[in-house]
Amino acid sequence: MSLTPASDIVGKKPGRGLTGLLLVAIPVLLVCWMVIWPIISAIGRTLWLPNDGGTGRSFSVETYKFFFSDQYSLNNLYVTLWTTGVCAVLLVLICLPIALYLRFAKGRLAAYVQGLAIFPMFVPSIILSYAIIRVLGPNGTVDLLLNSVGLPHIRSPYLTPWGPVIGLVWDNIPLTVLILISGLGAVSNQSIEAARDVGAGRFAVLWHIILPRISNSILVAVSFTVLGIFSSFTLPYVLGPAAPEMMGPFMQRTFRDLNDPTNAITQAVIAFAFCIVFGLFYVRSVAKNRAR
Amino acid sequence: MSVLEIRDVTKAFGATKAVDSFNLTVGDGELVCLLGPSGSGKSTLLRMIGGFETPTSGHVAIDGEDVTRVPPEKRPTGMVFQSHALWTHMNVFKNLAFGLKLRRLPEAEIKRRVEAVLELVGLAGYGHRATNQLSGGQQQRVALARSLVLEPKILLLDEPFASLDQHLRERLREEVRDIQQRLKITTLFVTHGQDEALALADRIVVMRDGRTEQAAAPDVVYREPATPFVAGFIGTMNLVEGAVANGTFTHSGFTVPLPVGDGTATLAVRPEALEIVAVNGGGMAKIHRVTDYGTHAIVDIELPDGTRLKSMTSEARDWSHGQPIDLKPRAFAAYRDNAAIHRSN
Repeated sequence: MSLTPASDIVGKKPGRGLTGLLLVAIPVLLVCWMVIWPIISAIGRTLWLPNDGGTGRSFSVETYKFFFSDQYSLNNLYVTLWTTGVCAVLLVLICLPIALYLRFAKGRLAAYVQGLAIFPMFVPSIILSYAIIRVLGPNGTVDLLLNSVGLPHIRSPYLTPWGPVIGLVWDNIPLTVLILISGLGAVSNQSIEAARDVGAGRFAVLWHIILPRISNSILVAVSFTVLGIFSSFTLPYVLGPAAPEMMGPFMQRTFRDLNDPTNAITQAVIAFAFCIVFGLFYVRSVAKNRAR
Repeated sequence: MSVLEIRDVTKAFGATKAVDSFNLTVGDGELVCLLGPSGSGKSTLLRMIGGFETPTSGHVAIDGEDVTRVPPEKRPTGMVFQSHALWTHMNVFKNLAFGLKLRRLPEAEIKRRVEAVLELVGLAGYGHRATNQLSGGQQQRVALARSLVLEPKILLLDEPFASLDQHLRERLREEVRDIQQRLKITTLFVTHGQDEALALADRIVVMRDGRTEQAAAPDVVYREPATPFVAGFIGTMNLVEGAVANGTFTHSGFTVPLPVGDGTATLAVRPEALEIVAVNGGGMAKIHRVTDYGTHAIVDIELPDGTRLKSMTSEARDWSHGQPIDLKPRAFAAYRDNAAIHRSN
């Protein structure tokens, strides 16, 4: 006597797999067309360069060699990495206390704080840039206030690397706070009370119970902000120094002002290579959560 | 000697008083069950003892020391939560060792104490397991062990078995009782399950609307409930409102001799104390339904006005629907103005 395989008994309804595939087909095709293909195309165009005579293309890493030997390009990459790193650290330091407050506080004040924390999400970058110039720029509100009480001018962050940092941190607060609050939602009140019950003070609860439980959310928040900040354009373009400049404005200038698409694409591929590392962190974290 | 003293404690949330002028003294090694329906204030009271809520007024003292405003981390209490509240990013050993590490005990001492308490709760060798690899019952044992390992003066259990199935609940209940007696640890146990309270407690405190309805030994609470609420809450009880005139209680044809002054009264009779007598015609009531449980039968009785009573009988007699009967309570209590006015045993 032979046994019927379990899979046959449980039964796959014909067409169910196909329906699932069809449901994801459109987004997958869009991703392939608008993300994957441009990446492959960009990498291809920077590695297969036109020959000197103008006939055909051949493999060359010349544009990458140029980027990594050109001090100006390297300075731009460095200032981008510096801005991204400083913003990520500041965002965690600023947003974690806000998220903790919003997670545990109750009442009207907490609702106002939440509204205020999410508010930057509704302000376009260009308006934010000009607001920062008006407040922190030369002869801005802060200068005027200091002047009115006889104090000297501030050293304005406008057109220094700190200008984009201030703008980008302000701009990214809502997303970071929301991700951290969602992570904190998974930390139950009872698990915190249990920690206090065995003798943990507030700092010990934060360090040993809350932070390990939301480490994934912090990683996701940092990945998201890093991805956004690394390739940001408006805020660094308006608030940042002319040189060195962040990769976003650098690419735009190389492409449009210098009319050098090949080097602009090379810069884009290099920026992408850095971003993909954080993208992989994010994907790994999501996969880890799914596997639980 | 009293380990815990609660004096005139009130906890108000806005206009609502969750606990209202509550007083309780718990002796050394005593196991007290706080029993009451949802919203009776028992969990709030336990949380005030644990330090997770601050009383609006009144005092909580442990070993004679006022701890009313002392935070939970500085109280000599250990709490076991309903949802286990284990830290899922730590394995079983780390969950138990966390409190000991905060007290900066040497590693060897931590290891010894954790292993001893794991042995006590029947989880020896489970230290390396992740908490999500454990069953619900095992998780609750870890939660209990986590509190016990710190050797608290008072163990607080907040409906710890509520999320477990009946069989497991009964087994763990016995284990907790064994452990409590072995360690002689003063314990407060919050439950809304009367079986749990009757099986576990040295003393039951029945709570209602933040106040004590009755505080007594389980058998006293069961046999001599102080108020109609306690009578109705503990076990199954027939409660009948009626009028007393000339030494007789009457409700819709159901009469019982009751030697108290005239007025209204609530008669309380346990099903096992309500005897059914067959009659040929007339009768005080009729049989509505008989449910046979094998070891005993529950007879549903209907009075002429539709009031239903229950009687428990072990007789293998066939009662049939609509059969006229008389009722003879063998033991009962009568209440007036929320106090017992007569008991007949």
